[in-house]
Amino acid sequence: MFDLLIFVALPYVALLSLVVGSWVRYRTHAFSYSSLSTQFLEDRWLLWASAPWHAGIIVVLLGHLAAFAVPGWWTAFMATPAFLTVVESVGLLCGWMCLGGLVIFLVRRFVNARLQAVTTLADVLVVLVLMAQVGTGLAVAVNHRWGAAWAPGALGPYLHGVLTLRPDVSVLTDMPPFVKLHIASAWVLLAMFPFTRLVHVLSLPLRYITRAPQRVVWTSSRASVRFEERAATDNERRLFLRAALSAGAGVALLSMGTLDKFFKYFLKQDLTEDEQAHLLSAKLRRLKQTAEERELELERMSRDAILVAPMAELSTTRGKYFIDYQMRPALAFKDAEGLPIVISAKCTHLGCTVGQDVDAQGRILCPCHVSYFDIKTGQPNLGAPAKEALPRLGWALKDGNGKVLLVQDPSGGREGSAEPGQLATSLLYILKRYA
Amino acid sequence: MRPDWLRRGLDYLSERLPVQKMSFESLVTKKVVPVHRMSWAYYMGGLALLFFLIQLVTGVFLLFYYQPTVSDAHASVEYITYYVNSGFLVRNLHTWSSSCMILCLMVHALTTFAMKAFARPREVTWLTGSMLLALTFAFGFTGYLLPWHQIAVNATKVVLQSIEEAGRYLPGALSGLPTYVKEIIQGEASVGQATLSRFYALHVVILPLLFFGVLGLHLLCVQLHGMSQGTDTPARRSEKFFPIFMLKDFWLWGVAFLVVFVLAYCLPFESFYPYPLFEPYDSLGSTPDGIKPEWYFYFIYYPLELLPFWVVMLGQTLGGAALFMTPWIFKNTSRKVLGIIATLVSAYLIVITIFGHDIYEMFKGGGA
Repeated sequence: MFDLLIFVALPYVALLSLVVGSWVRYRTHAFSYSSLSTQFLEDRWLLWASAPWHAGIIVVLLGHLAAFAVPGWWTAFMATPAFLTVVESVGLLCGWMCLGGLVIFLVRRFVNARLQAVTTLADVLVVLVLMAQVGTGLAVAVNHRWGAAWAPGALGPYLHGVLTLRPDVSVLTDMPPFVKLHIASAWVLLAMFPFTRLVHVLSLPLRYITRAPQRVVWTSSRASVRFEERAATDNERRLFLRAALSAGAGVALLSMGTLDKFFKYFLKQDLTEDEQAHLLSAKLRRLKQTAEERELELERMSRDAILVAPMAELSTTRGKYFIDYQMRPALAFKDAEGLPIVISAKCTHLGCTVGQDVDAQGRILCPCHVSYFDIKTGQPNLGAPAKEALPRLGWALKDGNGKVLLVQDPSGGREGSAEPGQLATSLLYILKRYA
Repeated sequence: MRPDWLRRGLDYLSERLPVQKMSFESLVTKKVVPVHRMSWAYYMGGLALLFFLIQLVTGVFLLFYYQPTVSDAHASVEYITYYVNSGFLVRNLHTWSSSCMILCLMVHALTTFAMKAFARPREVTWLTGSMLLALTFAFGFTGYLLPWHQIAVNATKVVLQSIEEAGRYLPGALSGLPTYVKEIIQGEASVGQATLSRFYALHVVILPLLFFGVLGLHLLCVQLHGMSQGTDTPARRSEKFFPIFMLKDFWLWGVAFLVVFVLAYCLPFESFYPYPLFEPYDSLGSTPDGIKPEWYFYFIYYPLELLPFWVVMLGQTLGGAALFMTPWIFKNTSRKVLGIIATLVSAYLIVITIFGHDIYEMFKGGGA
């Protein structure tokens, strides 16, 4: 019964009062459509009350309007968490700005003698009801979060019912008290509307934006100069405000598009078990590879001779890469007689690693700057960027028992001998003493 | 009684660093920016600053996941790119914005040169600016190695080796110097863990610290001296720095950020290279085909490929010296001549950067 009174009877009284009252007042007292500005009497506090209040309430009202006018689009937008967060935060911020502004409105009415003289009961009442309205709104926002998402669906049907003369309070019965209070005080506000300074909402001076600036012609030149100066400053300020506003809007848009992405960067990464396993195995592979390289390094520090390969594995057309005593790449081939060719693979030009494939002229290619090196002599082709020959490495051939058969020093001098039969089964080593 | 040289020295300093001008009035209310045909050039430094800020922020972001060891570096970059939320975005922003920063700095240097903005009393501004340019190239060089893929490590090897090459042209005891320098930079016999650690420390701590210091001095000089006139006859119009120019500057920042952001979101920087170059570095394999430095080193890379080494070294040394000595060399040069020089340099940079490879193919194509 009480619900019916507040949510069915009151709305119609309020709407009637709003439409008829405003109409009658406009017809009979058109010039009373004013905010009854007290800026002349006191302007310092007013700035801090009026600016946040109006900035906040305009945003909040537009939000409410959009949510109830196009609930389908609105809820679709709010399905994106980023949008919802932005809308809720902006709404909450604006709500606090409104409340702060209202408090200052009220305080200045009580602490300033000049204002007290012109303050009526209606003025105080308007502020109090507005405070109740904003306060309950904030309470809903804080206690029953994400109103931007749930309100259009939950409260839209009620509002729609009232406007189409088929009021249905059933959706409201289970609403939390703050929501009910918020709706009730809204109707009260609408009812008060035509009888208070609130009517100035209807006299929005939109024409001011487009009308030509007033030209003031001064009789005294000094006054004229001063006026020009002030006009220039004003113009600059307007420009600044406009630019700052667009810059703010730009930053807001940019943040909406970017911040959520950057924020996510720092969250714990959600990986499936497969992905984790894949990552871990890749990492282990890399670690093993590094460990192998380190072992090679250690081996080169501690051993007098290092196995390159069994001679049977070497080929005349494709070199085998290995690491020499200085941890630089080197290549081992087999020549036509089955003896090893062992040369450095570090290009003498700029240190790239020379390729392993031997071309028809018995040369290997450094891909970086196209130098061809003869594998027998190590000499680069004429005109190649590399000027010096690839150094030859000293080597030793050992048989399966570790007996040294043949040794060659870097300059090509040989010691010992090997039968062709032994060659095929022997093992190729590089020696520390030639490093 | 102060000695004469001290007095002259102090006069010189006070003209270059007029700190008495550091007031709200001259820095904010009175500061103006000339409006003329070349006014767009006044935005380039600010733009470079924006890209530096992007580098700073994304760089710090990358630090959260990057691991500077030869076994993990490549894997951690891969992890950032493919597994971290928006990781590809942060990394692409870092690469795109680095290129943008260098581009802006090049344009900035050329335009300030052409506008003779280095002239007395702005020598310190030019000097610090040249240092910032050099530091930025150092950033580019050290940062290139960090992902530890084939092209990164091999290109670094080539560059370090070419330092050693310079030793051949130095006399006697000095001939060992480049090798010594190379080993200091490299930290071990070949490019390896020690090199990676050094480059990491340089890229992440040392260079930024240096950059902050020099940038601070550079900006201070810019603020103290105000915008240079830029033209032979003083511009008829000017606009206030605050708020007009500043807002336009921010507007440009917004647009530039949007462009880089969209690029980073849609297009990995690496898409300009053939893929296998981005496989992890393999110390046992041969150097892959197509090793190249970043595009902003082409102006020195292609000459190195085409001309005798000593010619390039000589040119580079002279060019570098000319860059740093500009305020004194071109003291009495007219803006017209400066403009012509700047145009020629720009033409060279554009041609060698865009057509460098074609020119190389033309002269060296087919090889041997």
